[in-house]
Amino acid sequence: MNHFVIDLEHVWKKYPAKKDRPGIKEFMVNFYKSIYKKSDHGNSLFYALKDLTLKIKKGECIGIIGQNGAGKSTLLSVILGTILPSKGRVEVMGRVTPLLELGAGFHQDLTGRENIILNGILLGMTKLDVLHKMDTIIHFSELEEFIDLPVRTYSSGMYLRLAFSVAIHTDPKILIIDEVLSVGDERFQKKSKETILKLIKGGITTVFVSHNLKDIEEICNRVLWINHGVVVAEGEPEMVTERYRKEMNKNG
Amino acid sequence: MKIDRPQLQRKIDLLWILTRKEIILQYKRTSLGILWSLLNPLLLAFVFYIAFNIILGVQILNFPLFILSALFPWTWFATSVSASTVSLISNKSLVKKFLFPKHYLLIASVLSQGIHFVFSLPIIIVLVYIYGKHVDIIWLIGIPVLLIIQFIITIGLSLAVSVINVYFMDFQFIVAFLLQVLFWITPIVYKFDNIPEIYRTLFLYVNPLAPLMSSWRELFMSNTIYWNWVGIALLGSVVILFLGLLVFRRLSKRIDEVI
Repeated sequence: MNHFVIDLEHVWKKYPAKKDRPGIKEFMVNFYKSIYKKSDHGNSLFYALKDLTLKIKKGECIGIIGQNGAGKSTLLSVILGTILPSKGRVEVMGRVTPLLELGAGFHQDLTGRENIILNGILLGMTKLDVLHKMDTIIHFSELEEFIDLPVRTYSSGMYLRLAFSVAIHTDPKILIIDEVLSVGDERFQKKSKETILKLIKGGITTVFVSHNLKDIEEICNRVLWINHGVVVAEGEPEMVTERYRKEMNKNG
Repeated sequence: MKIDRPQLQRKIDLLWILTRKEIILQYKRTSLGILWSLLNPLLLAFVFYIAFNIILGVQILNFPLFILSALFPWTWFATSVSASTVSLISNKSLVKKFLFPKHYLLIASVLSQGIHFVFSLPIIIVLVYIYGKHVDIIWLIGIPVLLIIQFIITIGLSLAVSVINVYFMDFQFIVAFLLQVLFWITPIVYKFDNIPEIYRTLFLYVNPLAPLMSSWRELFMSNTIYWNWVGIALLGSVVILFLGLLVFRRLSKRIDEVI
C-alpha cells in the first residue's frame, strides 16, 4: 500500500531550448516526429526538473523555495497534471486544487458571478455546488456591490480577491499554492492566510511555493529547496531556510 | 461497471459552462448580438443572388430557399472549424492552469455554433411555406440524423486543426484558405446535379460535406432523405473523427511544451 498522497519519483522535465516557433520545414519534420516518435529535439534541450523525487504524506504542508527559474512552478504543474514529465513516475491521490495564477480562468467580459461559476466548475465543482456556495464566496471576497459587473471593471486587488475566494471554497483536499498569500490589501492578506492555515489544520495536504521565507517557516512542516531543477536541501523549515538565506547573502 | 455520478455531473457541467461562455462571449458588447449569426449567411445569400441570378442570369427555382438550406448548415461547419483552430491558443490560460479534458473546449465551440444553426431553422421553415411547400414529419428523423453526422465531421476536423495550430500558428491561415476551397467544391451555390457526371462519385467520396449539404437541401426543399448520401456522409464522418482523434491524441501530449 502506498501511503503517500503525492509521490514523485525520479521526475525529469525537458523542454526544447529554442524559443522561436518552427518554420514550415521544421514543422513538417517535427510533425512527423511528434506523431511517430517520442520527444526528441537533438541536443538543444533545457531541463526544468532533473531527477526530482518528492514524497508527501496526507496532511503535510511542504514549502518550496528557490530562485526564479529554479523549477518551482514546473514542479507544481507536474503535481497538478497540466505538465507531463518527460521521464519518471508521478502519482497523486485525489483532485488537486491549484492556487496558481489567480484569476487565470477569469474572462474579462463575464461578470463576477459568471466567473465564479466558470472558475468553480474548472476547479472541479459541480454547477449545483457552486450555486450553493455562491453567497459564501461573494461574502468572503467582499465584492457584493460589484459582483454583477464584468470583471474587466475590477481593480487587480478585487480580481485576485474574487479568484482566491472561489478557489478556497472548492472543498480542496490537496492545495498547491504559488505565491498568492500577497492578495489584496493587508487586511485581506491576513484573512486569506488565516483561511489557509485553517484548511491546513483541517488536514488538507499543501504544497506551497513562496519567496517569503517567514510565511514558509510559519506555515510549513517541511521545506524543499530546489535550484536548476535539482533538490539542494530538504528538511526542517528553519534549517533549510537558514541555509538558503546564507547562500543568497553570499551571492548578493 | 460503476458509474461515478458526481464525476459525470462535473463533466456535463464543464461542457455546459464552456459552451455558455462561447455563446455569451462571441457577441458580447455588440448591439445586434446573436442576430449576427443569422445575418451573416442571410447577407451572403443576398450577394449570391445578385452575382448568380442578376449578373450571371442563372435561373434557380426558389433561390433564397435553395441557397439558405445549404448555407446555414455550411455556416455552422465553417464557423466551428475556424473557431476551433484558435481555441486552444485563445484559451491558453485555462489549458495551462487547470486540469480538464482539453477536447471539451472544441466540443464547446462546435456546440455553441450548432445552437446558432438551430436558431436559423425557423427562417428555413418560413421560407418553405413562402414557396408553397410544407414541413413534413420526415424532418423529425432527418434533422437529428444530419445534425449528428455534421457534428461528427466538424468535431473530427476541429480536433486536428486546433492541436496542429498550437505547434504551427501559420496553420490558421491555411485553414481559412482551405475552408474557402471547400466551400466551392461543395454543392452549396450549385446543385449536386450540376456536377459533371464523371466527377460525381469523386465528389461524393472525397468530400463528405458534398452528400451532407445536399442531404440538408433535399430534406428542406423536397422532404426526402437520400439514404445512400446519408450513408456515405456517415462513413466519411467516422473516418474524419478517427483521424482527428489520432492527431489530437498524439499531438496534445506535448502541448504543455509549446503553448
